[in-house]
Amino acid sequence: MADNLPETPLLNELEKGAWPSFVKEIKMAAKRSPMCQDLLGQLEQSYREKIGYWKHGGIVGVMGYGGGVIGRYSALPDKYPKVSHFHTMRINQPAGWYYTSKALRDICDIWEKRGSGLTNMHGSTGDIILLGTTTDQLEPTFEDLSKIDFDIGGSGSDLRTPSCCCGMSRCEWACYDTMALTYDLTMHYQDELHRPAFPYKFKFKMSGCPNDCVASIARADMSIIGTWRDDIQVDQDAVREYADKGLDITSDVVNNCPSKCMDWDGKELHIDNSFCVRCMHCINVMPKALRPGKDRGATILIGSKAPIIEGAFLSSVLFPFIKIEPPYSKIKDTVDKMWDVWCEEGKNRERIGEFIQRVGLGNFLEAIEIDPVPEMVAHPRENPYVFYEEYFEEGDDDEEEEES
Amino acid sequence: MAKSVEEIAEAMFNLVKEAGSQKKLKPMDLTKSMIQMFGDEVDKKICKEAIKQLINSGRCVYTYFGGSFIELPHREGAAND
Amino acid sequence: MAVDMSKRRTDYGPPHYERFLPPIIKENYGKWKYHEILKPGVMVHVSESGAELYTVRSASGRLISIDKIRIYCDLADKYCGGYIRFTSRHNVEFLLTKKENIDPLIKDLKALGHPVGGIGNSITSIVHTQGWVHCHSAATDASGIVKCVMDDLIEYFENMKLPGKLRIALACCLNMCGAVHCSDIAILGVHRRPPRIDHANLKNVCEIPNVSASCPTAAIRPATVNGKPSVEVIEERCMFCANCYTVCPAMPLNDPLNDGVSIWVGGKVSNARSEPMFSKLAIPFIPNNPPRWPEVTGAIRNIVELWAKNARKYERMGEWINRIGWPKFFRMTGIEFRKEHIDDFKHAGLTFKRSTHLTF
Repeated sequence: MADNLPETPLLNELEKGAWPSFVKEIKMAAKRSPMCQDLLGQLEQSYREKIGYWKHGGIVGVMGYGGGVIGRYSALPDKYPKVSHFHTMRINQPAGWYYTSKALRDICDIWEKRGSGLTNMHGSTGDIILLGTTTDQLEPTFEDLSKIDFDIGGSGSDLRTPSCCCGMSRCEWACYDTMALTYDLTMHYQDELHRPAFPYKFKFKMSGCPNDCVASIARADMSIIGTWRDDIQVDQDAVREYADKGLDITSDVVNNCPSKCMDWDGKELHIDNSFCVRCMHCINVMPKALRPGKDRGATILIGSKAPIIEGAFLSSVLFPFIKIEPPYSKIKDTVDKMWDVWCEEGKNRERIGEFIQRVGLGNFLEAIEIDPVPEMVAHPRENPYVFYEEYFEEGDDDEEEEES
Repeated sequence: MAKSVEEIAEAMFNLVKEAGSQKKLKPMDLTKSMIQMFGDEVDKKICKEAIKQLINSGRCVYTYFGGSFIELPHREGAAND
Repeated sequence: MAVDMSKRRTDYGPPHYERFLPPIIKENYGKWKYHEILKPGVMVHVSESGAELYTVRSASGRLISIDKIRIYCDLADKYCGGYIRFTSRHNVEFLLTKKENIDPLIKDLKALGHPVGGIGNSITSIVHTQGWVHCHSAATDASGIVKCVMDDLIEYFENMKLPGKLRIALACCLNMCGAVHCSDIAILGVHRRPPRIDHANLKNVCEIPNVSASCPTAAIRPATVNGKPSVEVIEERCMFCANCYTVCPAMPLNDPLNDGVSIWVGGKVSNARSEPMFSKLAIPFIPNNPPRWPEVTGAIRNIVELWAKNARKYERMGEWINRIGWPKFFRMTGIEFRKEHIDDFKHAGLTFKRSTHLTF
């Protein structure tokens, strides 16, 4: 079979060097998969001609679901017939991306039989990506996957597969159980994940602390980022130990504090927690000495996205602090209200952040019945074009008095 | 009188059929049309059920072209033999 | 298609994560007390209970075959009781309870051609997209550039000699499946020519109102061409985002002569010290030069090394540039400042320099 590999002088250049080579991976898979042989051929042509040769499909999928399969066809099907169809399947990963070797081997066996044998571990959203199969293999792949309890993830105008950092499973900074919340929301919103009913995509990303290892604030429509309300836990002995071992507490820790809320007198670290902005720097530098407080929860922010269409946004604060505990009713109530308003009024391809920008955050808050608080803005408005909705009429004062 | 899931699915199917290739409809377009058409006899929840039935029966399919839509099953432009 | 929907199992979601957690994690879930980085790519987490969990992080390359996954499984069986995890940046992590297994595992990984590192003040794996391997709107390849850049910067993956963390991400077009817009260095594939309209087929494959609505700058309007309903593009308004092409396959933008990459710098998502920031444009365009993209790897090395040499301890790329100012960044890197660097989309005025705080 190895003899069937096409000549790929350009791609071969990418087998050199210290970083793992995707070309080697494709060649490995090509030993048994004719699809991968044609993939190599088409990719070599792309490298030669500096252009991609894929067409975007929009209709293939598994029966009943409207997401999770990305249709892909070669633009050169006569030359590369084995990748004439080369669809992607997104498979909902287990929260935190933990696996047993048994589970992974089961997935590999299915993909050896049903597809190209190529994967992404993982896609940007977090799914297991099974890269490349034909239309007739989509249903059988789903059937095989269901036997090992793996379901399909999101794509299109639906809830995208939620994802999270490893949280409490292996991080002392996790301020809530990210994996538990991710699993719960994923299960609670299965219908929204599989049957696209939104104006456009919606992403949840759960990060356990403000270090935000899953880039939640940059790419989630709802970013749930762990934080704490009380004081940073300080072990002064351990702080002194860091100092003894050569850490310059003043320049490395104190001078980097964005809120200038701490000082070091050579013996003790003093923190005025009422000014601490929970940035994590001091904790990051001295993990043995400092820990987030004990009254933990999350800041919930909304609306981030990549540039298309209205420009890139970062998420902005919705709830400065809430406790994150099952059954997560406050989150779900808020999400349901947000989706209601957005589905009713949003345009095709309009992310919720863009929708909020169009209708105004103030109006949006009113619609989802949340009171505005100063934590939601970097600063109050600078422009005086205020759309006042409340005003007095003659006689109002009297009525007020009568009622009181 | 409340409409049944079947009646709503049928009305939705007709809308999708009429729209044909002229206009792509999103699930929310269908739901809004039903509420316009039947008023209090329908709600969002039953419309959701009707869409599920339409899709599960194979009479309609979800499509994606820069956003998800509901259409009649057809061979797509990009497909190869 | 004969699928009996009444018997079909649907909406069962992913397997519960507890099925895949190693016993030491189940026992110490939520009880971790602190961690230490022992050496490049290796850290230990210590629990309140005193339990110690060793993590070895290794680069995977993201696009991997089932053959490689099976090899990972063999290593997980050999060293980790059959458990394994992946990270948000495509690395693979082996979780060990026996310290003495760390070095043999690293030896096996290196023999396999998979470097160990990416923890602490280092460059970890590049988050990236599909590129020419699988995407219709790619303006460049993804895996290829990532491979070349990381081949070049491997010393910074395998060591922790940088002032702070450096996160690189690549998206092969403006759609940014990789959401690269808040990275220390973002490599972004760009088109530079408006879509070529297939007027004969457009009406058959696209819905005209949707195509018009898809354009961020309202450059597309309905038009009748050769008697057929189609669209026209006001070319001077097109900024080559390919959003119309995603909505309508009859409007391809791919152009071998004019497609390439742009380089953006100074973004971050972490809240540590400074607030999260977007990346800003450093280099508007570098032509595609496969298979090794030497101009891209050279430009990135130049930026990385200047930052590494001049930034203060912990300072991320964006924090360093904010301190020294953008004019100095352009002077130091030797990158020419051009018209393209000045924003001209909505709220562009907010990015103009509106003070006399300047260095000379």
